[in-house]
Amino acid sequence: MGLDNANPIILSASELPSHRERRTKKEASSKQYVVRDLLTGPSYASDPFMADSDTDSDDSNVEPIDEQEIYDLIAPISDPEHPLSLESLGVVKLQDCHLISPPDLTNPSALSRVLVELTPTVSHCSLATVIGLGVRVRLEQALPPSYRVEVKIKKDTHSQAEEVNKQLADKERVAAALENDNLMSILRNMMKPCLE
Amino acid sequence: MASPTSLRILPLAEFKPAAASRAWVSIPNPNGLPLIATATSDKTVRVYSLRNFALHSKLEGGHSRSVRSAAWKPAVKNTGILSIATGSFDATMGIWRRRESRFADSEEKEIHAEQAGDDDAFEVEITSDGAAKPAPRIQNDDSDTDDEWEFAIVLEGHDSEVKNVAYSPSGQWLASCSRDKSIWIWEEIGDEGDDEFETIAVLQEHTADVKCVSWRKDDGNGEVLASGSYDDTIRFFKGDDEGEWSCIALLEGHEGTVWSLDWEPEISQKMFDSEPETSESASAEKDYSPRIPRLISASADCTIRVWTKVPSPPPPNKPSYFNSGIPSTMRPAPSNETWECTATLPKAHDLPIYSVSWSKKSGRVVSTGGDGKIVIYEERTKGRTKVGGEIEREWVIVGTLAGGHGPYEINHVIWCTRFDSGKAEGGEEMIVTTGDDGAVRAWALKQDPIVPLPEGGSAS
Repeated sequence: MGLDNANPIILSASELPSHRERRTKKEASSKQYVVRDLLTGPSYASDPFMADSDTDSDDSNVEPIDEQEIYDLIAPISDPEHPLSLESLGVVKLQDCHLISPPDLTNPSALSRVLVELTPTVSHCSLATVIGLGVRVRLEQALPPSYRVEVKIKKDTHSQAEEVNKQLADKERVAAALENDNLMSILRNMMKPCLE
Repeated sequence: MASPTSLRILPLAEFKPAAASRAWVSIPNPNGLPLIATATSDKTVRVYSLRNFALHSKLEGGHSRSVRSAAWKPAVKNTGILSIATGSFDATMGIWRRRESRFADSEEKEIHAEQAGDDDAFEVEITSDGAAKPAPRIQNDDSDTDDEWEFAIVLEGHDSEVKNVAYSPSGQWLASCSRDKSIWIWEEIGDEGDDEFETIAVLQEHTADVKCVSWRKDDGNGEVLASGSYDDTIRFFKGDDEGEWSCIALLEGHEGTVWSLDWEPEISQKMFDSEPETSESASAEKDYSPRIPRLISASADCTIRVWTKVPSPPPPNKPSYFNSGIPSTMRPAPSNETWECTATLPKAHDLPIYSVSWSKKSGRVVSTGGDGKIVIYEERTKGRTKVGGEIEREWVIVGTLAGGHGPYEINHVIWCTRFDSGKAEGGEEMIVTTGDDGAVRAWALKQDPIVPLPEGGSAS
C-alpha cells in the first residue's frame, strides 16, 4: 500500500504549544488504561445508582480539566502512516480542541462535552477514520465517564468529511472496531508514544 | 382518557451481579415468565429474575465478540423449554435452549410469598439493592435440576456484525440485521428441537448498516417487519402469498441514524376510540383503517417521530383483461404503502437517542440515549382547533430523570411487567434501563401528588 502523503509537512518543536508540566494523578493512571483496557473498555468501580452513596473525597483537590490537557492527551498519538506525532503533523491543534463544562462541577452526572476537530494532512487521506478513532478512544479512556467526546474532521479539509464524521460518532461502530484485532494492533501502535 | 399526570421515576432495584463492561440491551420474556435477558459486551447474555433482581442463568461460550442483541422465542404454551436467539459482533447468531421445569409449580408458592410481603419489607429490599455489592440472593433450591443453557445452533450468513435479532410475534420468523446492510428472515423448520433453520429472505434495500428491526403483529394482513438504518431511513418488509418478501414502504425524514423502533400497542389505538369520527370507521369494513398501528422511531438526530399510514387510494379501475388468467407469479408485488411523520415528540435529548419503548399497558412512551436521560411521554387529546375539525392530539413529557446510570450512556430502555414482591397490583409496569456501566436498572413510577392543577376540564 502506497503512502497517502509521502512528504508531510512537519512542524518543529518550537512551533508547538508548550506542554504543561502539570501531570495530575488522574493522568498518570490513564496511561495504564491504554494497555489494560483497550479491549475491555472502562471498568469503573463506583456505583452511581444511589446518588448519595460514594463521592470522591479528593474532589476539591483535582483541578478541572481544560483544553490544554485534552490536547496533551492526544498530541503524542502517532500517525499510522508516519512515525510522527499528530501534533507535529498539524493534525491536532490546540485551538481545535473545545470543551464545554457543566455549570455545576459537583454533580457527578453532569456531562462535559469535548469536541476535537482534526486537520488531515491531505484532503483524501484514507486513514482519517483510523486517526479519528484513535483520538476518540484515547480521550474516552483517559477522561472521566461524564465526558462525551466528539471527533470531527475540520470543515473543508477532507473530501469525505461527513462520512468520516458520521462513522466516528457512531457508538456501535466504534465499539465493534475495538473488537477487531487488526484495527486494535494499529491503534496500539499509534498509542505507544502516549505511554512514554 | 386519563388526564395528564406528572410522574416521578424512582430507583427500584439493580439487577445483580452486573456485567463488568458495557451492557447493550435487556429483553423481558414475552411469555409471561419473570425473566429478563441482557446482552453484554463480555460475550454473554445474563438472564435475571424479575422476582428478586438476581442472576438466574447465563448464556456463555457461544460468541467470540460482543453479544449485541437477544430475543426470546414467543411460545403459544409453556413447553418447559426456554429459547433465546442472540446476535453478535462476531457476525453469527445463536439459538440457545434451556429446560426450565420449575416455573409451573413454583408459581403458586411465590404468590403466597407475595401476599405475605408488606411495604416495610419492600423498603428494605430497595436499600439492600442499592448497596455496594450485596451477594446475589439465593436461587430457588431446585435450580440444579435444570439444564444449563445449550448453544443449540449457530446461524451464519451475515458478513459483519449482527446488530439486532427479533422474533415475529407469532414466533414463525426470526429477523436479523447487520452492518452488511442486509436483513435476513429465518424460519425454524421441522419440530421444536430439530435444530433446522431456513433462510426465507435476504433483503438488501438499505444502503448502510441496519441498526434495528421490529415486527408488527398480524392484523389479518400478515406480520410486517420494520427496519431502521444508518442510512437515516426506515423500511417495511412483508411476505406475499407466495412467500416472496419485498420492501413495501420507505419512511424518510430522520437526519441521523435510526437507532430504535417500536409499534403502537393496542391500548394506545383504543385510547381515542370514543371519538366520534373514529368509531364510525371502526365498524365500517374498509381496505384501510385508522387502526393500523403507528410506528415510533428514535434517532441520532435527537428526535422521536411518530409515523402513520396514509390511507391508500381505492384500487384503480383496470380493464378486465388485465386481471384475467395472469399466473400468480406474475402478479405485482404487494402494493407500496405511504407513511408520513404525523408527530414529533417534544425534544428532551441533546445526544443520540438509542432506544424508545411504547407501553402496552399505559400507552406511554419512554426514551433514553447518550445523554443518560430517561424521558416519559404521554399522548393526550388537545381538542379541536377549529369548529368541526378533527380532534387533535399532542404529546407531552410527563416524567424526566437525568443521570439514570450516573455519568454513563444508557443504551436501552423498555417497559416491563413487575413480578417483585413490592408491586402494588398485578400487571404493574416498571422501566428497565441498560447502560455502558454494565448495569441493568429497574425504575418504578410514582404519580406526583403535589400538583393539584386549579384549572380543570381542559384535557377531557
